[in-house]
Amino acid sequence: MADPAGRAHWTYRAIFIGVALALFFFRLLPLGTVPGTWGWLDFTLRTLTGSDAVSQALLQLTTGSPIGSWPGPDLLLCVILAWGLRRPDFLPAGLIAAVVLAEDMLLMRPPGLWTGLVVIATEFLRNRAVLTREFAFAMEWLMVSGVMVALLLAYRLIFAITFLPQPEFGFAAVQTLASILCYPLVVGLSRILFDVYKPATGETDALGRRM
Amino acid sequence: MASNRSNPEDFARPIRRIFVGALVVVLLGLFVLWRIDSPRVERFRSALIDLVVPNMDWAFWPVTKAAEMVDSFQSYASLYDQNQELRRELQQMKAWKEAALQLRQQNARLLEFNQVRLDPSLTHVTGVVLVDSGSPFRQSVLLNVGARDGIQDGWAALDGIGLVGRISGVGERTSRVILLTDSNSRIPVIVQPSGQKGLASGDNTPAPPLEFLEKPDLVRPGDQVVTSGDGGVFPAGLLVGQVAQGPDRRLRVRLSADYERLEFLRVLRSHALAPITDPGGLVAPPLREQFGPEPPASLTGSSDG
Repeated sequence: MADPAGRAHWTYRAIFIGVALALFFFRLLPLGTVPGTWGWLDFTLRTLTGSDAVSQALLQLTTGSPIGSWPGPDLLLCVILAWGLRRPDFLPAGLIAAVVLAEDMLLMRPPGLWTGLVVIATEFLRNRAVLTREFAFAMEWLMVSGVMVALLLAYRLIFAITFLPQPEFGFAAVQTLASILCYPLVVGLSRILFDVYKPATGETDALGRRM
Repeated sequence: MASNRSNPEDFARPIRRIFVGALVVVLLGLFVLWRIDSPRVERFRSALIDLVVPNMDWAFWPVTKAAEMVDSFQSYASLYDQNQELRRELQQMKAWKEAALQLRQQNARLLEFNQVRLDPSLTHVTGVVLVDSGSPFRQSVLLNVGARDGIQDGWAALDGIGLVGRISGVGERTSRVILLTDSNSRIPVIVQPSGQKGLASGDNTPAPPLEFLEKPDLVRPGDQVVTSGDGGVFPAGLLVGQVAQGPDRRLRVRLSADYERLEFLRVLRSHALAPITDPGGLVAPPLREQFGPEPPASLTGSSDG
């Protein structure tokens, strides 16, 4: 793509893939094989931050893995929803499907189901991108929370229908809750680090097309 | 050219919908396929992971190494505490080890009391050591069995492993055991495997010297010493100990019995050997009665000639 807008798109797609790979990487690190053995990371964070509570929180945030026994947030889902809501043109459905399917495969989830649900959710948000442009952030957060809860319920419903064993509801709900709480953080970080923002009404891209 | 068709995305939108719908159908179909034919999909998954994860090894490597380094630093930091803790644990372990050793020996001894039959004709009385009346000159212990239990002077006393001494002095309910280390103790022994006979004579040291060996050259340290039964006091074949050579190059018997802990002693009821009183009969074919006179010598001589 020679045009600047297209180049920006591809840059952001590459960034998205990079973020996803980094998240996979931390999930797959062969350090958490025994529950509660995030000692080294805990130690580092504790020395860096000088506080137990902060290090615990950071640890749970970055790895998404239980340091106590609570599941961490699904950061990839947060990123997908945040970016998909802000700049749907950055995340084509095919890319989302590929990334989440890879996550399904790597994290031993039933392949395809979560991917399909996430694709449906992003399509739902994509169709309302113009609508949410008018929303305050609180409203957007509420909507995304609703989407996340709906994803959780649909996922568990299909598990129940197909007689698959699944974790306790409370356990899964804690993950969704953590994701909801992390959503503003992900939005803020994307804004600061990668300059992903909601286009203002009437803003145009480099080719002069409405965004 | 219709103005409302100027945006190329307007063409793309229906196609996109079809594409996304197909994508979702394919994904859910994959899930259904996985649910129906799980092994095939899982094989694919494992192949995929095989392909991806080892290739990420280079990425895992530094992080893993860093984690190991941090771990090592952590362990350095806690090295002193760990050392102290290990010392404490080691002390406890020593105590436990000692207890275990004592229990093992006691167990072995008790097992021996229960099971060993040196000679089917020998029975024994087991007594508990009441007093260890050791003085520099008298090495003896008191047992809680006595004449009431049929103990007689001269019987052999053993712990579970080896000979301890002999009964010398029997009371109604107690009896005294003269230990092999007592200076009055003289035990006829035989050294195996050379078969040299000698005398283990106590001299108030822990290891009684071997005396009156015929050929001391044939006896080597480590040889087994058992009672020989000579003299008719002790039964033969009771284990006494092992030959050891002291710093003064005298051959001594390192006693097998655990003299440090004499708790239970077994007193062998050795029945008095029947003394041999008569010289015994001549071993010869029975005499035959001869009929007729002896043949004359001339007759035998002529027949020769």
